[in-house]
Amino acid sequence: MNRTLVNSLGSIKREFMNFSHSQKFYFFLAVMAIVAIMPLFVSDYVVGEVLTPMIIFAIYASSWNLLASSGQGSLGHAAFLGIGGFASALLAIKSGIPPIIGLFLGSLLSAAIGLLIGLACVRLKAWFLAMVTFGFSVIIVTIFSQFDDFTGAVMGFRTPLIVERGVPFYYMAFTFAAVSIFIMYLIMKSKLGLAFRAIHQNEAEAKMIGINTGKYRLIAFVISTFFAGLAGGLYAQSIQYIQNFIFEPYYSFLPLMMAVIGGLGTIEGPIIGSVIIRAIESYLPSIDSALDGLLHPLFPSVNHVGPPLRMLGLGVFLIAVVIFAPKGVAPLIRKAYNYLRSSTSEEKT
Amino acid sequence: MQKKLIVAIVVAIVAVAVIVAGWQLTQLPSPEARPIKIGLVACYEKAEGQDMDRAAKLAVKEINDAGGVYVAEWHTSVQIELVIADTQDDTPGKAVGPVTRAVTEDQVDLLIGGYTSAGTLADQVVAIENRVPYIITGASTSLVTRRGPQANFGTATDEQKIDDAEGMSYMFHYCTTTADYSKTVVNFFAESMKPLLDSTYEFDASRNLRLAILYRDDAFGKGVAADSKSLIESNDLPIDVVAERSYPATATSFQTDLTAIKDAKPDAVYVVDFIANTAEIIKEGQRDVGLNTVYIAVECCEDPAFYTLLGEYGDKQLLESKFAPYAGPPFYLDTIETYVTNYQQEYDTIPGMMGADTYDAFYIAKDAIERAGTVDKAAVRDAIESCAIDQMLVLTETGKIEFSTGTDYHEIAPVTFVEQLVWNEAVGECRSVIVYPATAPGVGELKQADFVLPEGYEPGSS
Amino acid sequence: MITTSGIVEALLWGVANGCIYILLATGLNIIFGVMKLVNFAHGQLLMIGAYIAFAAATALGLNAYIAILVAMGVVALIGVGLERFTFRRVLGTDKLNEIFVSLGLIYVFENAAVLLWGNRSQQIASPFQGLQLSLGQVSIGYDRLLAISVVIVILIALFLLLKKTKIGLAMRATSQKSTASMLMGVNIEKVYIFTFALGAALAGAAGALYGIIFPFNPGIGALPTIKAFAIIIIGGLGSIPGAVIGGLLYGIAENTAVYFLGGIWQDAIAFALLIIVLVIKPTGIFGEKGE
Repeated sequence: MNRTLVNSLGSIKREFMNFSHSQKFYFFLAVMAIVAIMPLFVSDYVVGEVLTPMIIFAIYASSWNLLASSGQGSLGHAAFLGIGGFASALLAIKSGIPPIIGLFLGSLLSAAIGLLIGLACVRLKAWFLAMVTFGFSVIIVTIFSQFDDFTGAVMGFRTPLIVERGVPFYYMAFTFAAVSIFIMYLIMKSKLGLAFRAIHQNEAEAKMIGINTGKYRLIAFVISTFFAGLAGGLYAQSIQYIQNFIFEPYYSFLPLMMAVIGGLGTIEGPIIGSVIIRAIESYLPSIDSALDGLLHPLFPSVNHVGPPLRMLGLGVFLIAVVIFAPKGVAPLIRKAYNYLRSSTSEEKT
Repeated sequence: MQKKLIVAIVVAIVAVAVIVAGWQLTQLPSPEARPIKIGLVACYEKAEGQDMDRAAKLAVKEINDAGGVYVAEWHTSVQIELVIADTQDDTPGKAVGPVTRAVTEDQVDLLIGGYTSAGTLADQVVAIENRVPYIITGASTSLVTRRGPQANFGTATDEQKIDDAEGMSYMFHYCTTTADYSKTVVNFFAESMKPLLDSTYEFDASRNLRLAILYRDDAFGKGVAADSKSLIESNDLPIDVVAERSYPATATSFQTDLTAIKDAKPDAVYVVDFIANTAEIIKEGQRDVGLNTVYIAVECCEDPAFYTLLGEYGDKQLLESKFAPYAGPPFYLDTIETYVTNYQQEYDTIPGMMGADTYDAFYIAKDAIERAGTVDKAAVRDAIESCAIDQMLVLTETGKIEFSTGTDYHEIAPVTFVEQLVWNEAVGECRSVIVYPATAPGVGELKQADFVLPEGYEPGSS
Repeated sequence: MITTSGIVEALLWGVANGCIYILLATGLNIIFGVMKLVNFAHGQLLMIGAYIAFAAATALGLNAYIAILVAMGVVALIGVGLERFTFRRVLGTDKLNEIFVSLGLIYVFENAAVLLWGNRSQQIASPFQGLQLSLGQVSIGYDRLLAISVVIVILIALFLLLKKTKIGLAMRATSQKSTASMLMGVNIEKVYIFTFALGAALAGAAGALYGIIFPFNPGIGALPTIKAFAIIIIGGLGSIPGAVIGGLLYGIAENTAVYFLGGIWQDAIAFALLIIVLVIKPTGIFGEKGE
């Protein structure tokens, strides 16, 4: 185990060195700069209710993406989102530790439970793992409800804040996101990531060339659930509330949709997916009343056509991406970006 | 000499004219006058949220058509502009955003609405922090106004407390709480049903009424079950809770739970859930399980869909309610008659319960702004606190709408009652009659008929 | 309070409920056995089956039990469409893609149902509604007994189809070794289409029966899928007799658990069983066949 750790760390360090000299680095800096100055151009509401969730869900989607890159497609990631959210808040409230420490400890707890679930799933094939993870997310609701006196999960409660909501929190979330996603990027590019992808591609072959698939699957689980827990803690901060709703299947399917639509396996995919889906959710509802007026005659049984139509659209979008653009939207954007660059000449290597 | 007199009179007239003109000018509508923005916090994905929307729009239309709201500060009446904060399914994750936008972007003067307990507890924080008056017409938990220092933090856990007296002063709860409905239900069983059972079946007076509680496993269901039990205990009522079963909120069939309840031989079953599930329980209980007892539903079932779903199985079953659009005409209060008629005319359907609170809240807001003379939020808050208008669609213990300033902070004292459903062959649906309590302030005689046991009723064991 | 009649009733109902799950699980099993494909949206086919039967019963005034056939037919057609336009394209690619497509389909079906029929709970009116067969203190509705009978009939028909017909032979051959059967002249594509249609038809039948006994709404598809999976895992993936036994066991376990522990354990039971079995024996109690 020690050797793996040393090798992995070394590989990660190499990747970091490579990256800091690559062209991607400048692109990354540009994105960071844009995100940093956004609050100057948009209202506080947009910063707090549109951009901040985009950032937090980018972490969440990236965590799911990392796990999926090892062939483990979890359908119950909301369990860890929620564990992180509840744990960080409960720790801060019940033991008086500063909420920021609570955030880290909550993520660690999420990773610890992730280890247990990962152990249970280590020998499972894709469909079974999906079922077990989904099942876990359902059972955890029952568990939290049964221990409501301790968790306060049924009615929910107010989470103690690390920083003020709005612009200060935006920057905090952004910092966490930049660091987390960067770490996940390094991991995915390192030997660890290589092992994950090998297992994903063909587990039997990976075993044959000597990869300890069980160990790497577990590592992927632990890393993924750590960041999912972190995203959960941050999300609870962003709405200053945590309750059983966080375990709903919707929150399990969200990172999947974001990662797949954005581009499964890439680093920018989950980020793009988060932006797209969150933008849809923030802005499309505003046409709901117009839709009702237009489409009600077509759908007389429904009073409010907007939400089901939106969800149906997302379902179709997901299927379409998987069938026609399995690499997600990211490569399309990259193609567009390359096209724009080439039309302004100047080739950099 | 005469010239000076004439000059003096002319000067006096001119002076008076100038003064009068000047006074008139200050009474012209101030250029600051603008429509009053009221944010409606409603969950449009649910039928209840849409009922709130219709009720709100009806109230706004009525007020605006009658001239609007007079704001003394601006020397004119202005219209109400409705700002929609659609919380979709009212889970905390979806509720906070729309309310934040209404408060920070749309800059509403006042908020009305709220539906679920969790969602409202989450979204009210925005209003508390920004000092925006919020008349909460939903949320069955009393914590929405009792989580602050004025109520000694109520039953709030440490996590729920908000130690901000000023902020909390902007919260008002114009709704019944789980304690309000439980109180009426258990009192009904003790005062009305038990004597009837005892005389019909010649039970000994010392025999307690056997009650079963079947509830959905969430804050609402658990709250009602807990409140009912504690009320029975604290008031030493002659009721035994012989069975208590809960099921996940996603369940659609309850036959096994009903069988277990049947085994416990209850005299009555208190069903705590929303319309679809309650109707299903009442039907399955009678049709599939053979649990031929009397069922009582919670007031959130007071909705056209409930009566439609129940069909004949609703005959002689009970509904605790605070607003009874089906118990008439003639209605127990004129305002109800007017509202039901207008609502039906406008929307071609009978109003539900959630909309009733919302409708009243708009009139509370109008009254408060007019008495405050300004839209300044602190002044409006004070005016709401001193509200004393006559009851409208929700009955109160004093006959007036008044918000308490004691430890039941900013709550009203509503009167809830029990209706019995009666099958109406002509309409093909059940209609209701009020059976308890006998009287209510401001209304006088409330009871419309005596409570009777359903056909084929079987009491629990003797 | 627990009584013997209560327990017997819970058991009986468990058997009736289990039968519906058996149909669903068998459909899933057949599709998996032959195509090695797992469709998480299978429960949504059940839901659509319930709505089609409901539509047939109300719009065309058909008897509830005849509507089962209509539901089977329509859902089979939907199955054909699904196979041709979605699953076929991802078969053979990354296993995760099947999961993603299924998830997308879940959203599509559920929301299509909401748009077409609304969110309200419905139930198919059966001519036997409310009628009970009383055996002493225990009573069971006629509808439930009929459901058990219908399931038995369908299972017998299925058995005959698999054992005695050409297409059945082709299906069994494909489930053993698809490359070998291709070499032997079996038209794999046709087999796949037929298999999926058959699995879907079974789900549609399960839905029609469900709709008679229970109230349903667009969201009811999710849990039956999990239960079908639990059954398959208990009975062993690909094994039809295993699914039958697993289904009965599961129905009984679920109902008795609810009876003794309360309704809140209804959903958790499925998952608890699933997780326990998978952790102890990842290939299921009776082992896997094929794969």
